[in-house]
Amino acid sequence: MDREQLINYIQDKFAGKIELLECGRVEPFFKIELDFLKEFCLAIRDDATLGMDFLCNIGAVDTGEQFQVVYSVASVKNKIRFDFKIFPDRENPEINSVIDVWPGANWYEREVWELFGINVKGHPMLKRFLLPDDWNQGNPMRKDWDAPDFVRLPEN
Amino acid sequence: MSEVDKLQPEEFVLNMGPHHPSTHGVCRFVLKMEGEVIKDVEPVVGYLHRALEKICENRTYAQIIPVTDRFEYCTAMSCNMAFALAVEKLSEMEIPERAQYLRIIMLELNRIASHLIWFGTTALDLGAITPFLYGFREREDILDLFEMTCGQRLTYNYIRVGGVSRDIPEQFVPRCRAFLDKFDACVDDYERLLTENVIFVVRNKDVGVLSPEKAIAWGVSGPALRASGVKHDLRRDDPYCIYDHFDFEIPTCQNGDCYDRYVIRIKEMRESAKIVRQALDKLPDGDTRAKVKMVFKPPAGEVYSRIENSRGEMGMYVISDASSKPVRVKMRGGSFNQLQVIPEIARGHKIADLVAIMASMDVIMPEVDR
Repeated sequence: MDREQLINYIQDKFAGKIELLECGRVEPFFKIELDFLKEFCLAIRDDATLGMDFLCNIGAVDTGEQFQVVYSVASVKNKIRFDFKIFPDRENPEINSVIDVWPGANWYEREVWELFGINVKGHPMLKRFLLPDDWNQGNPMRKDWDAPDFVRLPEN
Repeated sequence: MSEVDKLQPEEFVLNMGPHHPSTHGVCRFVLKMEGEVIKDVEPVVGYLHRALEKICENRTYAQIIPVTDRFEYCTAMSCNMAFALAVEKLSEMEIPERAQYLRIIMLELNRIASHLIWFGTTALDLGAITPFLYGFREREDILDLFEMTCGQRLTYNYIRVGGVSRDIPEQFVPRCRAFLDKFDACVDDYERLLTENVIFVVRNKDVGVLSPEKAIAWGVSGPALRASGVKHDLRRDDPYCIYDHFDFEIPTCQNGDCYDRYVIRIKEMRESAKIVRQALDKLPDGDTRAKVKMVFKPPAGEVYSRIENSRGEMGMYVISDASSKPVRVKMRGGSFNQLQVIPEIARGHKIADLVAIMASMDVIMPEVDR
């Protein structure tokens, strides 16, 4: 399945519920509604044509204005790959866990929770992961976070 | 709350690591034991967390290449490659052919070097010291080749956006050929040491069996996935660089136990040597780097690019906003998922088997902690 076919197939299958984003010039990027995430993940995993059985990566992004959580999925048997995004609320960020769909999502979601402060609903073990156990200085991967000893030099 | 916290009267908690020699770095296992049998494992990670992803947000694209070297220092070439590939995809860059071939040579030599570390340390973990010396002897030759190419032995900063940093010196090709000529016999030596060694076989056969369905669901990739019988190799299935120009086999096994993971890597070393030999034969003349502006700004966009390194799928997710620094770089390493699945396959085994499982998964911690 080439890029155009893949985009058409997914857009037909989930008509009205997803949106193709412009940012993915190489591989297609879709936008998913927050509530639709789990249903979508199950559907793409169990669909015979897609069969996205392999979760490559989950990465959260803070652009400064909004949060994004990006899921990169692949199919081992059908050899296709694409990405999709959800946009959690900036003030009170919360996403649903996809551990039931891909158990490998476990640690990725712990990382999202710890470094970005995005709550993961339905995750069995949200506790300190990469940071020290006694860490109390917030969520360091947010753009508005500065290390305590960080000094910003004036521009030029 | 983890399972380890809820204990039955006959169970106890045992701490393993973070400075246990078999954890290849600093990983801690909290084990829930019943006598000698492991009931549950909880890997505790983060001891090597260096905030590489945060550092990348404040660096230019050229400055990030040496940062990626530290991501997975056993195969630093493929870290360079993964990042360079992501940026090249974003900026739709044409890479000179000679650079493409040099990249393949370096990547495959680095894969062999990484598998040699795995070979030595696996045997060391299981109580055999000789293979360690053998493995590091040949690895030294490869590191010499890297040193004469880019001056470094571990963190190369060699594969850059647009090509490679410099051409190989004149002596490289003959020395590389000399190495390849003796390497097959060296692998035969390794096999004589371990493949039919009774102690080694008994310690590894039917230990840590990972079914193909479970492997895929947990995101396990690379040799560990192929040992479970799934013929999945990104060099074939999602070709990058010019891997489609080469003729090589993708070995698979059926059982998915520790022994199969050993067999796969031994076979892979031979295949990698085959690829390097073909690349040396076909190596064209020409430039080694495309023209890249001093202040390099890729067009805005996002990409997740992935390559097959010695520990499975290595991915780089890069977001560019058309400035000289990326908005976000997310690094994905094979070890992350391989370590994650260890509790699943270690339950019911003994502690000594956990050491064998950890060794056969070839987990290294910098890739997990970043």
